[in-house]
Amino acid sequence: MRNQKQLVLTVFMVVLVAFMTACTPQQDPNKIIVSGPFEPINLDPASTGYIFSRMQVLETLVDVGNNGELLPGLATSWLSNDDFTQWTFTLRQNVYFHDGQPMTVEAVYKSLAVALGKPTPFAKNILTNLEIVSPSQIRFTLNQSYRPFPSLMSNYSMAIIAPSSFGTFNRIKNLVATGPYQIVHFEPPHNITTERFEQYWGEPAHIRYAEYITGHRAETRALMVRTGQADIVYNLDPAAVNMLGNESNVTVHSNAIPRTTLIKLNIGNEILSDRSVREALSLAIDRTGIAEGILRVPGVEANQIFGPMMGDWHLHNLPPPATHTQRANQLLNEAGWQKRDDGWRYRDNQRLTLNMITYANRPELIIIATAIQEQWARIGVELNVQMENVSAIPSGHADGSLQTALMARNFANIPNPLGIMLADFTSKAGGEWGPMNWSNPAVFSGVRTLSQQTETEQASVQIANILKQIHQDLPLIPVTFYIQQTATSARVKNFSFDPFERSFRLSAMRLEHGS
Amino acid sequence: MAWSVGTLTFVLVRSLPGDMAYKIAAGRYGEDAVTIEAANAVAQELGLNRSALAQYTDWMWNLLSLDLGNSLVTGAPVIEEIRIQLGYTLTLAALAIVIAAMIAFPVGILSGLKKESVVNKTALVSSTFIRSQPVFCLGLLLIFCFAMELNWLPVAGFGGPSYTVLPVLTLALSLAAVSNRLITNNTRRAVTSGYFHFARVKGLSQRRAFVRHALPNILIPTLAFMGIQLIGLIEGVIMVESLFAWPGIGHGLSHAVFARDIPMLQGTALLMGTLFVLVNALVDISQYVLDPRTRDQEQ
Amino acid sequence: MSGLSRLSIKRWVGLVLLGLLLVLAVGEPLLLNGDPNKQNLSAGLISPNVQYWLGTDQYGRNMLARIAGGLRISFLLALFCVGTAAVSGVLAGVLAAWQRGWIDITLNFIANTILALPGLVLILIFAALIPGSFAMLYLAISLVLWVEFFRVVRALTLPVISGPQLQSSQILGFGPVYLFRRHIWPAIRHDVFSLAAFGAATSIIAMSSVGFVYVGLKPPTPELGLMIVELFPYYHEAPWLLAEPITVLFMLVLGFHLLADKPQ
Repeated sequence: MRNQKQLVLTVFMVVLVAFMTACTPQQDPNKIIVSGPFEPINLDPASTGYIFSRMQVLETLVDVGNNGELLPGLATSWLSNDDFTQWTFTLRQNVYFHDGQPMTVEAVYKSLAVALGKPTPFAKNILTNLEIVSPSQIRFTLNQSYRPFPSLMSNYSMAIIAPSSFGTFNRIKNLVATGPYQIVHFEPPHNITTERFEQYWGEPAHIRYAEYITGHRAETRALMVRTGQADIVYNLDPAAVNMLGNESNVTVHSNAIPRTTLIKLNIGNEILSDRSVREALSLAIDRTGIAEGILRVPGVEANQIFGPMMGDWHLHNLPPPATHTQRANQLLNEAGWQKRDDGWRYRDNQRLTLNMITYANRPELIIIATAIQEQWARIGVELNVQMENVSAIPSGHADGSLQTALMARNFANIPNPLGIMLADFTSKAGGEWGPMNWSNPAVFSGVRTLSQQTETEQASVQIANILKQIHQDLPLIPVTFYIQQTATSARVKNFSFDPFERSFRLSAMRLEHGS
Repeated sequence: MAWSVGTLTFVLVRSLPGDMAYKIAAGRYGEDAVTIEAANAVAQELGLNRSALAQYTDWMWNLLSLDLGNSLVTGAPVIEEIRIQLGYTLTLAALAIVIAAMIAFPVGILSGLKKESVVNKTALVSSTFIRSQPVFCLGLLLIFCFAMELNWLPVAGFGGPSYTVLPVLTLALSLAAVSNRLITNNTRRAVTSGYFHFARVKGLSQRRAFVRHALPNILIPTLAFMGIQLIGLIEGVIMVESLFAWPGIGHGLSHAVFARDIPMLQGTALLMGTLFVLVNALVDISQYVLDPRTRDQEQ
Repeated sequence: MSGLSRLSIKRWVGLVLLGLLLVLAVGEPLLLNGDPNKQNLSAGLISPNVQYWLGTDQYGRNMLARIAGGLRISFLLALFCVGTAAVSGVLAGVLAAWQRGWIDITLNFIANTILALPGLVLILIFAALIPGSFAMLYLAISLVLWVEFFRVVRALTLPVISGPQLQSSQILGFGPVYLFRRHIWPAIRHDVFSLAAFGAATSIIAMSSVGFVYVGLKPPTPELGLMIVELFPYYHEAPWLLAEPITVLFMLVLGFHLLADKPQ
């Protein structure tokens, strides 16, 4: 019998020792670890470029500042002809790829030519030609005048990568680029490890190693930063922010980002084609309740499409959004939708029922959708919420089956809102992530004129004019602006947040030693 | 087996609602970049516009030449991805089985030998407790205890031995909770049996009698049962990997379901099926080797 | 009702546990009439009090109503799945054992094909077919459970059919229904009940598991597994909220496991 007892004891000891060895969290003073929900699935800039750009492996010709202003990147300057149909970029000299080869104009040409053959987050049909004009210059020719063109070159899919990146059929076999960090280990979709690139053209990184770990759940990421497993964690949820707020060794940063939660409406639908119905739906939404109760960030209620950080594209003189259930009811009555005893509204025996598509990638969306479902029910509008894959929105836009959709529209893909306006607000077709079957000739022509306007003063007036008309006509119902919550551990110094989410800015950060 | 799994997944995924090209584009280009253009490019590249039959025969043909195709999302060969995932899953499963055995055998035998002991009662209560909850709840409890309150272990992910402790412990405990009771019953049956009494009467010490006569009779049925338990293990792996973000096959499978990555889905499902059949065969063989009675029957 | 008195203590405990949960599931909507989906964004995360016996969740929804709703869904799913699987499994098992030949071979082939995939994998794939569909989960879980019934019943029926009692009854000219009730059913009854109770526990675990990995029923449905993931982030502020669905799920499964206890 003694024997068995000893055996049990031994087992317990082994397990205990395993615990003890495991419980000393090691923090490498030369390595910064970041975690976010993004999954790096492969090396292709077209699909995973947004992560490699944040990890500062990839760089683009044009960089973007905190306020959306364009800055020199791998191109030091750019110029257009008078009607904005030809754009010439001058390349930065003495730039080296991670394989030690210099960045030549031929390499840039090849990289862009391949990238333009793949899907990009902007429409490429304006491009007609790409050519090398000198050993340091490359030129794009367009089929129309397009003033915001340089902002397209800041998109991650247009990153410049070395000829040695390409395998057969121009498939990406390595990712050899120009950024301050180079990839040393990649394990999709869980991990990217990078090391400082010593031949970087700009100021080299302070921290030698940087590692990205995919943290699939927000609460897991919060715990990672709390326990020292990660130094920076991105995209925290409200509950995690509350928890981390009490921790002394963790700092939570809140930053506005160019993203807005919008309700996409199919204006071709016979119910939604009536502007007063759209207004009633907008008036019924309790945005303050959503901001404070669900997002737990007071003050993010949206009264327009573009947020306050978008410069001219945000109208400061619009009244704040307010809930007017009474007015909403009145508008619906006037539109011929009468409330019946069952609580719903009817017109010609047809019930006022709408479908709303939303998706799981952003956990707050389904919750906002259920809140809206309840708020619309108060004015007698029945809403069926369908949680789908994110692709259901472009797919529903393409086949016309979509009625309404709740979505978080990203405006950082093209940092110049004019690019977004030109894509989404110039035809009845609208945009997959913008209006649908909405027609307003005044806005359409206004946006086109703006594309050629070079006088800033006049442009501001025109922009305000366009935005007011959109605000009046409600092709999309704005719900809330976005605040991004990030947490950093105490040893991270010199942290800053890129509101356009192009870079984690790790190369400028330092780790404080010994604590 | 391979055929049935493959065809089943093919038919099921084919009938999933929504346009495949759009879903794949969403997986590939990220939430902000799914556009009509991206979906069309995907459909063109992958030949999704061809008839289902043509795609099916293509897939069958490739399977015969042991080619599982490329993942629709990442573009990498499925076999590559599975190879990496399999390593993680096998590590997890093997460690879990070893730890489970290390817990279940001593506890089971001890409580089988002494019915009224504290060990037996504790084992009974804790086994019932563990068995009465889904694996993920058990994992959550362990996370609360060791990762959140005590701060000893990482919450999720991988990257060192410390990361394996909680997932392995979760799986091991759920396995041991079932098998220790079985061992208890078998032990009790063995030590109250005629042959054991005879051995004692014959003059063998309690210990020798136990090792020579009781132990084999405990091991054989336990082993057979362990084989059946592997169903539970594989199901547990899916949940545990999802909970702890462990980069194994279970995690890959649930991801493939989301992204509609048919080749990945077929690959992972196929592999799980194969493992399953393989393990069952292994259990049969080891039982044959251990149990002289089955060998006698053959002759 | 002589069967009831012969129940073991374990079974009694299981029965009482399940009874209490059933009272909560059915009684709550009848007596208190709470709405599991009604939000009150300004009254989130309230701790249990006289008005909200189990508190409110992050959106101010009544947790008592949600727990009761979750129980109803779990009970209904268990009932449907076990009912379907038991009836079809017993019929198929008896049929296979009785007829042998190609019927037996075909049924065995189907069973083995389903068994080639771990049950949860099959349920995951089915659940992804139509996201958030109760019917799909029901179908998948029934399919997985069915095999168990089929195999056990077939194995238990085989010796009965070749046994002398049944053969003599058959010679006396009794019909198949009589033969089933007189000879086969008594032989398989205990195991079928046991399997049914276990199957109920399995189906409840399966539904909560797929809910937990976001493949099962969709929000705002008050499904227990889904509630656990949704409330997990709030464990720090409101640990009791997370404890509620976990405890209820635990009691539910425990109840069915105790009920499955076979008489010695």
